[in-house]
Amino acid sequence: MSDTESSADAHEHHHDHHEGPGYATPAEMRTESTREKTAFVMAPRVGMDVDGPDFVGVVDVDPDSPTYSELVDTVEMPNRGDELHHFGWNACSSSCHAEGLARDHLVVPGQRSSRIHVLDAEDPRDPTIEKVIEPEAVFEYDLSAPHTVHCVPEGKVIISMLGNADGELPGGFLQLDQTDFSIDGRWEADRGEMEMNYDYWYQPRHGVMVSSEWAAPETYYPGFDLADVESGKYGDSIHIWDWESREHVQTLEFGEAGRIPLEVRMSHNPEETQGYVGAALTSNVIRFYEDADGVWDWDVVIDEEARDHPDWEMPVPPLITDLLLSLDDQYLFFSNWLHGDVRMYDVSDSANPRLVDRVWAGGNFGDRQTVGGKDVRGAPQMLQLSRDGRRLYWTTSLFSSWDDQFYPELGEEGSLMLKADVYPEEGRMELDEEFVVDFGEAPGGPARAHEIRWPGGDCTSDVWQ
Amino acid sequence: MSVHEVTLRRRDGGEHSLRVAADETILVAAERDGVSLPFGCRYGACGTCTGRLLDGRLAHAEPPRALKDRHLDAGYVLLCVAEPRSDCRIEVGASVQADLVSNPWK
Repeated sequence: MSDTESSADAHEHHHDHHEGPGYATPAEMRTESTREKTAFVMAPRVGMDVDGPDFVGVVDVDPDSPTYSELVDTVEMPNRGDELHHFGWNACSSSCHAEGLARDHLVVPGQRSSRIHVLDAEDPRDPTIEKVIEPEAVFEYDLSAPHTVHCVPEGKVIISMLGNADGELPGGFLQLDQTDFSIDGRWEADRGEMEMNYDYWYQPRHGVMVSSEWAAPETYYPGFDLADVESGKYGDSIHIWDWESREHVQTLEFGEAGRIPLEVRMSHNPEETQGYVGAALTSNVIRFYEDADGVWDWDVVIDEEARDHPDWEMPVPPLITDLLLSLDDQYLFFSNWLHGDVRMYDVSDSANPRLVDRVWAGGNFGDRQTVGGKDVRGAPQMLQLSRDGRRLYWTTSLFSSWDDQFYPELGEEGSLMLKADVYPEEGRMELDEEFVVDFGEAPGGPARAHEIRWPGGDCTSDVWQ
Repeated sequence: MSVHEVTLRRRDGGEHSLRVAADETILVAAERDGVSLPFGCRYGACGTCTGRLLDGRLAHAEPPRALKDRHLDAGYVLLCVAEPRSDCRIEVGASVQADLVSNPWK
């Protein structure tokens, strides 16, 4: 027994056929783990007039606990200015046959600082900082702006890096060793025509990795300028990589159909060779898939419309900023950060998603602007689904400088964490008006809550061989 | 090495004066004096530390990549890479960064 929460409630490793961290199959993770009791939540304060560092928060999500829906612990970073954003595990189900390995450390990068923190997270209610990789050590590899963290088989952690040491293009991938979190160097052997980077997912059984594009750090860091889109400084493509040779093999260029493709989610079923990417600005969901001849192709499978707003000059795009797939690959959820809703699609027929439900909270178009007596600052953004697919949680901040443009109150008062109950058998969800975590009330001053992860793994962390 | 008097002014009216050497950045001098300013990358790419020069002269020790020509023309400066060349008055605080880019659809 080695995984976080395993002895207490997550029931990892109880099967004889595997000894490492995680679960043998996505179905085992979905049905044999137990309910999440705490959440790790990134909580940046960068760009606020709060004289304090960003922190990793622990939120109590156990309804039987006296501190349910409260922020019960905060681990402040040693420096200010990091902009904690996304984070990941040292090990997950991709290493589930690796004996002696445990899911017990979180790798927590600073998006702006390029500093990388390693937290001992064995105790889900009391994580501690174990190691800090300073920015200078990252810049030595001519990389900056760490984003997505995935653990991968063979004892490694790979982080997508969005810029070079000057915050310009190209980005790349930084590889860490799982044993001591030292930097191995760059992951990629040949990045081909890839310049921009953002998120990535991989399917080791099929030897493929897929990465997406935001922009150069110097472009997106200061805020979203439409002139930068017009001059081609924002991404419109995803990249297919050979997982074994670490070479770039194909670019899928979406053009107008897929401006700013951000989160990449492939099916959890390791037999599948397909996935979805949310094109934030165009507000399309694009399905990518491998053809019979081994070449990758794509189709727009969800095409959302901009809406007129009485107080805005131009039609407002929904801005799809996050999406995720349930562990059984049946439901796709995504957030429309400028409109203010979370959508739920049935993707059992993977090329033909069917809208089954949506929940509104905050944003520029929703009727519901308060939840549990609190004004909703911001709108649905980073999502996390419970392993059993029955509870969807989200936070409402996007990125400090972009928040300032669209929801400036987030920079003064912090953001919220909210929840909906999901009924997969009925294909619907309902906002839980009783669950509101206000990061504006965090000890030491307000913070913007961002990515959420469960101890024991979740549907945006784990990959299966 | 010459030393200059730099006055930091917040939008709520608060002011703080610092002695800043010509070879150090405003951010480093403020940190030494215990004055909290917003910052991120510390090398001129991200713009979190943006201030606006009201009076005096500053030089950027690294290219101010986060600022476009229109921002430089309007007096915006990056305090993580800006060194004083004379006594200065600078508008500071988290809300100055928000001036750089507005909501493009509104």
